[in-house]
Amino acid sequence: MVLSPLAGGFDTTWRSRLESLLSSGCGSGADLVEVFLERTDHIGLLAEQDTITSVSPAFGMGAGIRVFRGDRDGFVSTNDLSEAGLHHALEQALGMLGLAPTASAVANFEGLKILRDFAASKTDWLQRCPEIQEATGTLLEGTGALERHGHHLQARRGSYARDWQEVLVAASDGTFARDIRLHQSLGLNVLAADGDHRAGLGRRYGTSGRPDDLREWDAEGSAQEVCSSAATMLYADYVEAGQMPAVLANRFGGVIFHEACGHLLETTQVERGTTPFADKVGDVIAHEAVTAIDEGLSDGAFGSLSMDDEGMEPQRTVLIENGVLKRFLSDRAGELRTGHARTGSGRRQGHSFAAASRMRNTFIAAGPHSPEELIASVDQGLYCKSMGGGSVGPTGQFNFAVEEGYLIENGKLTKPVKGATLIGEAKEVMPRISMCANDLELAAGFCGSVSGSIFVTVGQPHIKVDSITVGGR
Amino acid sequence: MDSQSSSKMGANSKGLNPIQIRDRLEQLARGAGINQWDLGASCSTDTSVQVDRGEAKQMKGAQRSAITVRVWNGDGLVGVTSTSDLSDPGLAKALEGARDASAFGNADETPAFSPLATAPLATLEQPIHQPQSILDLLATLKDAERQLLDRHQAIGTVPYNGLAQRSSERLYLNSDGASRHQRLTTASLYLYARAEETGRKPRSGGAVRLAYGASDLDIAGCIDEAAERTISHLDYAPIDTGHYTCVFSPEAFLDLVGAFSSLFNARAILDGVSLSSRESLDHQLAAPFLSIHDNGLNPGNVGASAFDGEGTPTKPLALLEGGMIQNFLHSEATARAFGVAPTGHAGMGSKVSVGPDWFEISATPGSDGGQQGLNHLGEGSPLVLIESLSALHAGVKASQGSFSLPFDGWLIQNGQRRSIEAATVAGDIRTLLKGLVGFEGPAKVTPDGLCPHVWVDGLSITGEA
Repeated sequence: MVLSPLAGGFDTTWRSRLESLLSSGCGSGADLVEVFLERTDHIGLLAEQDTITSVSPAFGMGAGIRVFRGDRDGFVSTNDLSEAGLHHALEQALGMLGLAPTASAVANFEGLKILRDFAASKTDWLQRCPEIQEATGTLLEGTGALERHGHHLQARRGSYARDWQEVLVAASDGTFARDIRLHQSLGLNVLAADGDHRAGLGRRYGTSGRPDDLREWDAEGSAQEVCSSAATMLYADYVEAGQMPAVLANRFGGVIFHEACGHLLETTQVERGTTPFADKVGDVIAHEAVTAIDEGLSDGAFGSLSMDDEGMEPQRTVLIENGVLKRFLSDRAGELRTGHARTGSGRRQGHSFAAASRMRNTFIAAGPHSPEELIASVDQGLYCKSMGGGSVGPTGQFNFAVEEGYLIENGKLTKPVKGATLIGEAKEVMPRISMCANDLELAAGFCGSVSGSIFVTVGQPHIKVDSITVGGR
Repeated sequence: MDSQSSSKMGANSKGLNPIQIRDRLEQLARGAGINQWDLGASCSTDTSVQVDRGEAKQMKGAQRSAITVRVWNGDGLVGVTSTSDLSDPGLAKALEGARDASAFGNADETPAFSPLATAPLATLEQPIHQPQSILDLLATLKDAERQLLDRHQAIGTVPYNGLAQRSSERLYLNSDGASRHQRLTTASLYLYARAEETGRKPRSGGAVRLAYGASDLDIAGCIDEAAERTISHLDYAPIDTGHYTCVFSPEAFLDLVGAFSSLFNARAILDGVSLSSRESLDHQLAAPFLSIHDNGLNPGNVGASAFDGEGTPTKPLALLEGGMIQNFLHSEATARAFGVAPTGHAGMGSKVSVGPDWFEISATPGSDGGQQGLNHLGEGSPLVLIESLSALHAGVKASQGSFSLPFDGWLIQNGQRRSIEAATVAGDIRTLLKGLVGFEGPAKVTPDGLCPHVWVDGLSITGEA
């Protein structure tokens, strides 16, 4: 069974309705009006041990209307897509800026341009996704594989989420674009327990725009990876706290760059005055070994887009090149308020959030070394094979849990350690990333920030940080 | 009103209409051959503002509606579907989706209606406020920001701030006649300032206030607290890594207990991801003078729910007395599995989640209450006062019992306190709970519960010294 979305879709009849709305907004004194329409269709599945314990479909629709006047804006969202509902929302947004609806002549709206329809080739995506029967079968294969490969497993979980979204963006500058997005993600988690020893580990895999993705998932290999890590960490000792060099593995290790530095390169942070890099374009802010990129183009990556949530095609944005800050990620409001040109980075969780400058696929570029060279260069330090979550405070201080860690002693990996936390500040740590390996890989993730939770990719090759604070016991 | 809005199923600008929704749902269910169903619905209207150095930064409004429908099929299995589409076609589609999903229901654990879904509800004193205009909210927040900026020359911005108000309704209906309906208005203010002195690192601090309406918010108190927290951290120093006696602020200790609430969660126990088990009842979890109750009905709990996602009334529940586990938090299904009554802590779904409401932490009556006369400013030995914890989502391993969390706080010695530059506190929750030294001062009402300052021995602190 595939749960089809609401009948009708955003067809050609929307042009005249949207033009009426935009015309009304501009006629009332707005400099720019933007409408974001959305329909969603979601399914979430959970398998525990060898049973499907939750099947959770959801569908919805809504609109977000944003009105700009000068550099100020008002934003209203609603689930009511009727003409009356949309006009009511527009009136509220206008009222936030002290504007009232009038029927004045419209000088700054010349109608919508021809629809840029990125969705045209994607209309069958939802139908091509696995039906619930097939998806549940695959999940149970995963939890079954965990049982076969694991030891001392107290709990085994597999989860699957499929998120389908159709969006239509129209703005009074003529922007008119439609897209369909499809994200699928799969997670495997285990809790291993033996007496007082416990280890909980998980891995998540995700892609965008690939309806057949679940069918191509290597359940066996994924389960082996999770179980191997759990077996290693079950009896690991706690790490001793201190300052030490660290080598961070590729793929999800990139979450540190994403959180600690990437967010500081969004124009929303420039607007708030919360980034130390606001006036540093052209300056050296990182070690010369570091080049960092954000883009929305990699085929199938979780953060890839045909257009952003403001109707702009994504770019490949070089953020840092050989240690030098090159540019910021910017959206419509960011361009207006900070002068940084838009980069196709205006993103939002859904219609109830105004778009903001956000990351897409963000990674540190590959370097010349092998991973083994990085490890061999450390006498006493920490190898972070797998990172857990983390956060960054309003003053730039970051904190990340190491899910799977090993001591490096005399250039070799020795015993596994748990309880490690990496602590630091981007401004201080970026110059200490002295070596990048040649094994860049990406990993899917979710990023929560000012415009909600969005699909992103993080990534990096193995990197070496010369010195970082490691929290432990 | 056009045709689409007029077909809205019992939801309009005046809110949810339980009678109309029930009638429509019964009609649609009959037509679809569905005999057993229940529904949770909510709708809300929100307005919020943010400011930046005297100017409006963002003004937002939102009308939201959502329903979750559960359907029991002929085999007694449950399916669920959620939607924001409250139109007749939306509801019909949700019913159909739930019926289809019920084919994949879990035969090993099927939820049922709560036996308490028609039991009397407690009366909550929750005054309904009329919303203020968004421009009034803006003026109030601009003034609050200005006052906070004026408190100290080092405070340059208030980068995170917001004043919001919400009018909302919740509804629970089932095919056995249960009908729950609650209206609520709430308002919130948060101010998070950033201060920086030449040659020093930026520091930040903030405060939050909740009330039933914007006019009732303690704005002056919020400004005072945000200013005090920010300014008091300007003079900072690193701390040496080591083991310290720690004093948790009420907010910090409540955050920690909340992060490990799976200790008391029957759902987590059944799923095998809790540190507790069925046999943990009456076992010693913590120091023999610690009481933890869950009481969503405490008057300090602004925005309390009168009933949970299954319609069960909210009620006080003793979780720990004398450090021993007394009860677990339950949904209908977990209560049935444990042979007890639901406790009013359920969500809604095909697999129902369970969670706490609002904690009350205190000394167990009749116990010695731990070490008496504790006063962190009167202590000669160095101790760490933990004001607030961060990154709980990342630094807490609830199923393992371990935590490693960054915090804002002070190193205190001989009555002098100095802000700590940056540090984390790490430990094991079971060791921590057994290592409580005692309580200091009166219990404080916070958004998450009621708690005094709590002293704990020998926690690991990692600094950058």
